[in-house]
Amino acid sequence: MRHHLLLVPLLLIPAGLGAQAVQNATLKRAQAAYDNLDYRQALTLAHTAQRERLNGFDRARAYELLAFTFSAMDSILKAVDAFKEVILLEPERELDPNRTSPKVLSAFSVALTQVLVVRQLKIDSVDFVGGQGDVAIRYVVTQPARVVTRVTGGAAAIKIDSSVANGQVNLRWPARQANGDPVPAGNYTVVVEATIGQNSFSASQPIRVTQGAVDTLPLLLSLPGYDYLPETEIPPKSWKPMGLALVYSGIALAGTSALSQGNLGSASFREAGIIGGGLMAAGFVVMLRKPAPQPARGNILYNRLLREQLARRNTEIAQDNVRRRQQVALRVVPIRAAGGR
Amino acid sequence: MRTAVALLSVVFATAGSLAAQHGSIGGQIVFGDYREVSSDLHYRGSGGGLAASFTYKKLGIEGSLASISYDPVAGSTATVSFKATQLDIRARYYITGPVSAEVGIVNRKAKPEFEAQSVGAVRAGVRMSYPLGPGVNMGLRGGMLFGSKFSGGGTVSGVGALELGLNMMVDAMKGRLRLTGDYDFQRIARTTGSGPGKADVPIQQALGRIGLAVAF
Repeated sequence: MRHHLLLVPLLLIPAGLGAQAVQNATLKRAQAAYDNLDYRQALTLAHTAQRERLNGFDRARAYELLAFTFSAMDSILKAVDAFKEVILLEPERELDPNRTSPKVLSAFSVALTQVLVVRQLKIDSVDFVGGQGDVAIRYVVTQPARVVTRVTGGAAAIKIDSSVANGQVNLRWPARQANGDPVPAGNYTVVVEATIGQNSFSASQPIRVTQGAVDTLPLLLSLPGYDYLPETEIPPKSWKPMGLALVYSGIALAGTSALSQGNLGSASFREAGIIGGGLMAAGFVVMLRKPAPQPARGNILYNRLLREQLARRNTEIAQDNVRRRQQVALRVVPIRAAGGR
Repeated sequence: MRTAVALLSVVFATAGSLAAQHGSIGGQIVFGDYREVSSDLHYRGSGGGLAASFTYKKLGIEGSLASISYDPVAGSTATVSFKATQLDIRARYYITGPVSAEVGIVNRKAKPEFEAQSVGAVRAGVRMSYPLGPGVNMGLRGGMLFGSKFSGGGTVSGVGALELGLNMMVDAMKGRLRLTGDYDFQRIARTTGSGPGKADVPIQQALGRIGLAVAF
């Protein structure tokens, strides 16, 4: 049962490595022996294969077959040594924890801690305005080491970081040169170099940096959510014109009566009546007519405030656009998968 | 009177050169009621007239010349008609709100001369103006006459000569034409003689004017 559990990942190796298949015939026989649970035969054939001319993939598979076989034979130290060789040959190698026995996984994990490699170097594609953003760089260092991260490819290498690190490392690079200017467009390589004494390992990831103009903002024609209000308004119809005409005519008639000389007989109201009647008729017509639009003071002030705000906002946009025209939009894209040695 | 007409002409002749100005000139239909001495001397009549006005900022000047043929009313002891020619000039100065102050002159001549009193006086008063609506204005005025002179002599006490008026103005054709209506009531408590021979000989006139003026 235990052996069957160990078997599963080995069968899946080709599928896990991009459908690349083992080329060496001896190694194929070794794998067949392992599949038949004939571990001694598998070990013998794997060692034989290692003495033959193998490509890098086959060599890694040979060590991996040894590691799995040693694990099956409970030779953990030898399994760890074999996995160390696998890791050095293929630093990005991962075992599927769902399909691999804990014993093998444990050996692989121990092997990882005993070799110095920089793995899983990842750089995200990103767009940002020069000086206002950065590029995220992530990688894993398997042992505590002095790690120097640089970008090469420009006029001079740019050091991003230098520190003692172990495990997951997250860095941010503003894509600026030493003088603060954005890096020129071109192809660069992010190099991560880890060193412990005489032992060192470096991984790299090529990136392409392109430059573009920063978009400018259009001037506003109106403030969103705020509309101009009508600057005139029609007041409601009112009895006031008719009432005033009536009052004025009444005063004229009453005044005529009051001022009339008594010994001259009763006053004549014909003249005052005709003019007063005309005035009341005019007042009546005015009362019925649609009132003339009157300036809406509140709305006028509101519109003035709105225009001032709009002008102020457009001034800010214009100033911002001047600044934007002096800026550079950077696009950083990783070119291909990371590599290491 | 000639002097007043000449003055009015000069005012309107120079008006065209001023800025921020409004003026009008037009004709009037005039109708009136005239009484003198007692209720027995009662006339009514009608006629025509001319009117002009000019406004510059707070200052306004109005002038009118009316000719009215007065006929005795039925039951009056008067038997002879007469013709009255009346000149009114008013200068107005805006004070505050609806209130303006007015000063001016009034001169009325009667023909035949002995059928009615000719009178001349200086007037002063107050006008209340109010806009009823777009292009429609009205005004109420009251005042006193000072220094009244009569062709038949006589005097008036300090508060004996009073005026009351009502006027309206309606703009038409976008303000180029102006329909006007004016009512003027005048009461003059004239007395003649002195001592035991003192007699009250009041004069009272109510005048209505309906006019059409061209505004500029």
